[in-house]
Amino acid sequence: MIQVTNLSKSFSSHVKEPGLKGSLKALVKREKKIKEALKSVTLKIDQGEIVGLIGANGAGKTTLVKILAGIVHPTAGDVSVLGYRPWERDNGYRKQMSLIMGQKNQVWWDLPALDSFLLLKEIYQIDDATYKQSIEFLADTLMVKDQLKTQVRKLSLGERMKIELMAALLHRPKVIFLDEPTIGLDISAQKAVRKFLRDYQKEWQPMTILTSHYMEDIKELCPRVVIIKEGEFVYDGALSDIQKLLGDEKVLSVTTAEKTFKVNVPRLELARKTQEIFEKDEVLDLNIMDPSVEDIIESIMRHGMKRS
Amino acid sequence: MKRYLSLYLYFVRFSFSKSLEFRMDFTFRILMDTIYYFVNIMFFKVIYLHTPLLAGWNEDQMMVFVAGYLMVDAINMTLFSTNMWYLPFLINKGDLDYYLIRPVSPLFFISLREFSVNSFINFLMTAAFFIYTILQLEGPLQFWNVMLYSALLFNGAILHVTIQMIMILPVFWTQSSRGFVDLFYSMGLAMERPHRIYRGWLRIIFSTILPFALIASYPAKIFLEGLEGKDILITALVTGSFWLLLSLVWKKGLENYSSASS
Repeated sequence: MIQVTNLSKSFSSHVKEPGLKGSLKALVKREKKIKEALKSVTLKIDQGEIVGLIGANGAGKTTLVKILAGIVHPTAGDVSVLGYRPWERDNGYRKQMSLIMGQKNQVWWDLPALDSFLLLKEIYQIDDATYKQSIEFLADTLMVKDQLKTQVRKLSLGERMKIELMAALLHRPKVIFLDEPTIGLDISAQKAVRKFLRDYQKEWQPMTILTSHYMEDIKELCPRVVIIKEGEFVYDGALSDIQKLLGDEKVLSVTTAEKTFKVNVPRLELARKTQEIFEKDEVLDLNIMDPSVEDIIESIMRHGMKRS
Repeated sequence: MKRYLSLYLYFVRFSFSKSLEFRMDFTFRILMDTIYYFVNIMFFKVIYLHTPLLAGWNEDQMMVFVAGYLMVDAINMTLFSTNMWYLPFLINKGDLDYYLIRPVSPLFFISLREFSVNSFINFLMTAAFFIYTILQLEGPLQFWNVMLYSALLFNGAILHVTIQMIMILPVFWTQSSRGFVDLFYSMGLAMERPHRIYRGWLRIIFSTILPFALIASYPAKIFLEGLEGKDILITALVTGSFWLLLSLVWKKGLENYSSASS
């Protein structure tokens, strides 16, 4: 179980104006800027659950994941994962946990994947039978059997991500943190990774937190989502309930001679608003739709839960 | 312990297969270090053209000391230098992440991951030179002295990298460790001078708070003037204290690690 209680994290940095003049000024007098990456957030995740963490860049997603993985120390609050406090970095915890970051690689760049895997086998003290089984299962489902003996730097980005996934899952972690695992991948590689993650979750039932910018990832993998905005959780619940949240809103999609735009309108004001638009512009096309999950999440990320 | 040993063997194996890929670079590096050794030996040879004794040691004795610090340098180049080169970048670019999540000491990992094969060949050269220099000394050679000397030199290499790391780790706070590291290299020259040329306070400083004399100069006493029990005691105490200091700075640094990224 993952239990996060009133967790806060702030980073301090100093402000520097651009240019040499700014640098000289910063040398003498520094203005300290505190950035609150997380503001007293609380969260509970059960065994077997997979939770999608959504938010704009800099909203605090990665900070939360890094605290849970034990890389970053929090400023206040407490966390318990499988009964451990992550940043104490107990080996008992680290053996059951895995972190995959789409933007940082962990396998040895100049070596074939199998060499890196052997090292990981030693690091995690995986016994021979489990190791063999893991390699077979993972290479099969990810379809990278033929790439295991090639130097990693010679592989394509998609193949490399699959190797990263293998490396992260060899020791059968009970907790998995996936930080943008599909970033930069083409559509078919994204699909393959998604399918793999779904199968893996079904087979091994780990606790998983997934962050992603791609709504497709979230929609396909995460029944539950947490939306984070400027360090605060603005939504924590079922993905399917999100649409209900804005149940009495409709989306107007309008094309005029100059531009195309979308606007959210409460159902009861629909007639009035439509009329207004027709009066103001020369309308070529107008659609009235239910808001899509993407639209809702985007709107929550931008405006929070309170809506005008 | 056994586990760490087998992990280390992996590091060595990986480094071997990597370095043999770039042959030009490999040979060039060996050559550069050989020139560095030559310059160091010549430096003292030239001094002895003008004086029969320096700090109480004659030329043959001095060469034992020179061979010693060249050996320490070669050990450091072989085991640690590539890793120390990467360390500040790992910290300020946030690449320490994957080392911190493994169930293995991250300090072990980051300081020993890269074994430098070319420098290992240089180490064999310095070891051969060292054997040559002790054979030039007058009087019989005692096996236990050679063993003790090797142990102390190895301790010197560890002490050297410990100080180096302590100077690098402020990068956790400052984001750039250039100043400290440069300071380390200029002070590090003190390792390449016999401790007896320093007097009074300076000698105390170089064997305690900036213990460069303990790295190669104190061990050389074994063959030159005899090592006293208190020399070994000081070496052990100072090395232990620096280890403690390192683990303290490391721990504090990690609390401050911000893992820059994305």
